[in-house]
This record gives sequence, C-alpha cells and structure tokens, in this order.
Amino acid sequence: MSDQNEKLLNELKEAIINCDEAEATELAHKVLDSGIDPVYSLQKVIGESAVIIGQKFDDGEYFLPHLVMAGDAMMAASKVLESALDTDSSIKSTVVLATVEADMHSVGKNIVGMMLKASGFVVHDLGVDVKSSEIIDKAIALNADFIALSSLLTTTMPYQREVIDELKARGIRDKFKVVIGGGPVRQEWADKIGADGYGKDAIEAVKVFKKLSSK
Amino acid sequence: MLTIWDVIERAKTGEKIEESKFDMSIFRAVQAIRKDYNIKYDPKTPIPADDQMADEVFEAGLRLYLMVGSYCTNTGRIIKFSEEEVKEALENAPAELILGEGEDAVKMIHRNVEGSEEPIVAGGIQTAFYSDKEMMFKIYKGCAEDRCVDGIWGGVLGSIDNKYEVLAGAPSEIYGYRVATEILRQAIKAAGRPGMFIVNNSPTSIATIGLHDREKGLRPCDLFETTGISELKINYDDLNRSVWGLIHNGALHGAHNAVIGGFSGSIEGAAIVAVAGALHLVMVNRANNVRPGGIPFKTKSRAMRAHIWVASLALQALSRNTHLILDGSIGDHPAAGPGTRQYLIETAAGHIASTVSGGHSLGGTRKFVIGDTPNFGTPLESRWMGEICKGAAGLSREHANEIVCKLLAEYEEHLDNPPRGYTYDELYDIEKEQPLREYAELYEKTKEEFRTMGLKFKN
Repeated sequence: MSDQNEKLLNELKEAIINCDEAEATELAHKVLDSGIDPVYSLQKVIGESAVIIGQKFDDGEYFLPHLVMAGDAMMAASKVLESALDTDSSIKSTVVLATVEADMHSVGKNIVGMMLKASGFVVHDLGVDVKSSEIIDKAIALNADFIALSSLLTTTMPYQREVIDELKARGIRDKFKVVIGGGPVRQEWADKIGADGYGKDAIEAVKVFKKLSSK
Repeated sequence: MLTIWDVIERAKTGEKIEESKFDMSIFRAVQAIRKDYNIKYDPKTPIPADDQMADEVFEAGLRLYLMVGSYCTNTGRIIKFSEEEVKEALENAPAELILGEGEDAVKMIHRNVEGSEEPIVAGGIQTAFYSDKEMMFKIYKGCAEDRCVDGIWGGVLGSIDNKYEVLAGAPSEIYGYRVATEILRQAIKAAGRPGMFIVNNSPTSIATIGLHDREKGLRPCDLFETTGISELKINYDDLNRSVWGLIHNGALHGAHNAVIGGFSGSIEGAAIVAVAGALHLVMVNRANNVRPGGIPFKTKSRAMRAHIWVASLALQALSRNTHLILDGSIGDHPAAGPGTRQYLIETAAGHIASTVSGGHSLGGTRKFVIGDTPNFGTPLESRWMGEICKGAAGLSREHANEIVCKLLAEYEEHLDNPPRGYTYDELYDIEKEQPLREYAELYEKTKEEFRTMGLKFKN
C-alpha cells in the first residue's frame, strides 16, 4: 500500500477516535475513491480504532458520551465502506442485547451496548423488561451471533436461564452465543445455567465478546 | 404548588425526544455549565471541605436540571420545570419526618454538614435472598436487637415451600416479598421493637404496593421507596410507587445515581448530575427524603475514591443550600463480602463520609455480588453500620478525610479482586444466634482501631 493510502487510513482512524462523524464519513468516501480494499480498510480502521477507544475508556480518559460519539463515527464510516461490499460479506458480529423481563435497570446494559458498538459490533438494544421469547425471536430474525442478557436483581436472574432453556427447547441453542452480566451475576451462575460467557463489568464483557467472536 | 398529576400531565405533553438524545443532552449541558465554576476533583480529599465548591455544585446542579429536566421512558417526553417551581418545591419539602411508631419511633431531620446529631440508620440486608423462613427470622431478629440501628431492610424468600422459585414479574414475586415482610414484622416484635420502621422494595410496583398491610406488612409510618432511574429518568412503574406513597402521606424515599463515567462526562460532572438527580427525585418522584450520589461502573464498590468524593460533595451541596432530608448510604455497596476485614473498612469509609457530609444512612447493608447465594450476611454488619454512622457524628470533614484516606490506602487496590465473604452459617453459631469467635474478634479488634482514630462509640 502506498504511503498516501496508509496516511488516509490513519486519518480515518483518527477521525473516529476523535468522535468526528462528519470527518469520518468524508474520509471513508475518499478511501473508496482511492481504490483501497474496503475489507482491509474495515478490518484495519475499525479494529485499530476500537482498541484505542477501548483503552481510552479503560484509562478514564473517555466516558460514555465519547463512546456514543465514537461509535456513531465508526458506524458512519463502516456504512460507507460496506456499501462497496456484497451484502453477505459483512465482517461484523451482531448482538441482540436486553435487560431481562421484570427488570428495569438499564445503565449496565447501555454501557455494554455502547462499548460493543465502539468496538465494531452491530448492536440491537431491545431495552429493559424484555420477555425471553421476544429476545429469541429478534435474535432469529436478525440472524444474530450473540444474545446478551443483563439482570440487576436476584429475582430476575432466572430469566437469563429461561432464555437458554428456551433456546434448547427450540433446538437452536448452538446458533447463538449467550453472554450474561449484571450486579448480582457471577461466573458460577453463568456456569450453572450454561451461558457461553460472563463479564464482571463492561470492559471485561467486551473482551469476552471479542474472544467468543474469534472462535 | 405542583402536584404529581401536573408532573404526569407534563410527561404526556412535554417535548418528544429519543432517549439517546436526552442522554447526550445531559453531557452537552454539563460541558457548557462546568466552565462557569471552579469545581475540581482532588483524589487527596475524597471528603472535600470546601464550602464554596459545594455551593457552586449546588448552583450548577440546579442550572443543569432547569436546562434538561427529567425524561419519562414510557412516553418518551421531557418533563420540565421553572426555577420558581423547583424553589417552591424545595421550600415546601419537610425538614423532619417521623419513622416508626410508639416507643420505637424516630425523628429523621435535615442534617447539617459536620452535624453532631446522630444519623438515622436502616440496617438489615437489602436485596438479601433467604433460604427459608427460619433463617430469615433469625437474621432479621438479630439485626433488630441491635439498638444502634433504627430501622430494618427486608429482602425476599428464595423459594416457596423450598420448592418453587421466586421470580420477579410473576405471582411468586408478590408472595416471596410479602412473606419476607411478614416475617420481618414478626422478628422486630420478637426483638422487642414492634414499632421500629421497616422498609422493603420489590422489582415491580404491584408487588411493592402488595407489601402494605398494617398487621403483617408495611405501615404508613414505614419507609416507602421510589427509585430514580439513571440519569434523570422516570417510568410509570416508579410513579406508581410515588402515588401510593403520597396516598399514605408516607416518608417517600428516592435514590438517584449519577453514573461515574456516564453522561455526566467527568467525575466533577457526576457531582453536578448527582445534585440534579436529587432535584429530579423531589420534583418528579415526589420524594421527601432523597439519596443523591453516584455509581461507578468499573468497580463494584460505592466506597471507591471518586464516588466518595462525588456523593460527599453532592450531599454537602444539598445540605448547605436546602433543608432536604438527605440519605448518604455511601457505604452500602462494598466490593468485599461479609466476615472480612475489607468489608468492615470499605463500608466504614462510606458511612463516615455520609455522616459528616449531612446524610443519614438508609440503604441497609448489602453487596453488589450476591448471586443466588442465600443468607449472605449477618446482623453483625448491621451493628457495624449503626456504630460507625453514629460514632462519626460530629467529626470534622478534615478529620474524616484523614481516616478515609487511610482506609482507602489499605483497600482500594483490592477492589477489583475483593474477598468474597461468608454466609450466615459460616459466620454465626446458628443455634446460639451469635457470631463465631473469629468473626466477633475481627469486629472488636477493628472497632478498637476506629476508636483510636477518633470515632465515639457508646460502648
């Protein structure tokens, strides 16, 4: 790759890290006009900027609003680059995210959702107090890779198990990786109900998603 | 004077906006307001003693709330108030409330920063999950027997007839919480304090309202709960609790968390949002006693340094500029589990900060990491909470800061990998209902350390 093209990709990466949606969109168009492979661009720019954004968040330099804005910039650039791809060749994993039935807590779920978006995942956030069947139906409809379930109450944790049990009952348990989290949730609970992953906090959760994505 | 029906009407007619846009409006408003003030987080003073900064945080929080208002998640609309309406509501808020009844009643008043009046303490294990009725009764009774706590938090029975799981949103939720509250009432009677105030709160409003029953459940003199949704949000389920509390003219307690790392944009911003959150609780939840504060999402402990600063400063701001009855409860969510030294010093740091900043402590003893482990706590943590909160009354902020810094130096590097702790049967002699020797010794030894640091214990 020429130095000029390398420079252009770095500028796009910087625009995303700096949460500049307009600049990221413009640079993504320039990337395509320059004839750089869009798959390579997506992997390099999205992958590398996601690592840096995550690091800044981890270090306390970035807060949630920065994740939102960086995520928006990343989505805008991705949309432009993906327009040059066949629709079936998207390299990103899809996550259906929800707080389980009867649980109104949204903060932890929102943070995980924003961090996943800023890490290049496509996130469909169904909100709070979502029925198990609704979560599964949505995951099927979107052909999702992940189902992510948040619970902040001891008495709503069983709904995380219910989703897994219903997936088994429908004979589609292997179609989705199920990741759970929430204040009272622990690794032992994840093991007990047969979840694929557990994150004790949002930062660890994203690492779990990335690890499971690479499997 | 606005009523709750005016608020609900505004929730139906206010500006329609996507929730994510409301979230970002908080960030932008805080960024704009912050520039006008000299509010600066200093890790060396988790309990700041700067009155001017506290007053600036109050002013900034009020400006923020007037700019962004509250968001109703049911209607997707913003509820806004004028400055006159907010000031009138603050003026009309009570400065004292009676909790409990008869000889066991206590008066909960507005506390000043560094006030010498003892704070009101609600002990018991909030969010506790009990294996069976017998164990539940023993733990509740043990908590109520300690005179250093004024009220007790309830919990939930883990299963019905040791067979059927209690599930939120299902009929078993109503039964599980109701049985717990009935047993709590029996336990405080057995402890000789039948009129002490109790509190319980279930995931749904219908189950919470179902707890109210003069003979076997909650009474109007008990603490009613209405929760604020982070950040500056409300839904109809919480408004159901508020309406129920107002019908009974009860002590309606609201709590709101500014997320540290969230849409406040900075630690300083979280203090500003915490003040705005308290105003939101007064205006929308109609709470007459409020807990401002925050929640760190990277650490499962509210006794982490930045949060102590946020909550302490927000309490001071509200204590100095209003006559609201404030709850601090900064020590109610430790990372460490019961029966460990880290649990004792982590919770103590938070309780001391609450007390000297003008707060009561109504959050009970509780743990972020309970999981599905039943009976995860003992009455000794309640005693600790009561003794520390009341023993810290009258300390100066500088003295409290010195103590808290010393405690933080010991525990803060262990917050990410805290000791898990032990269950009741691992810490107590179940038959004698007394702590095992090792735990009792840990308690007394740690208490002596705090005595030498300047806390004044009654015994």
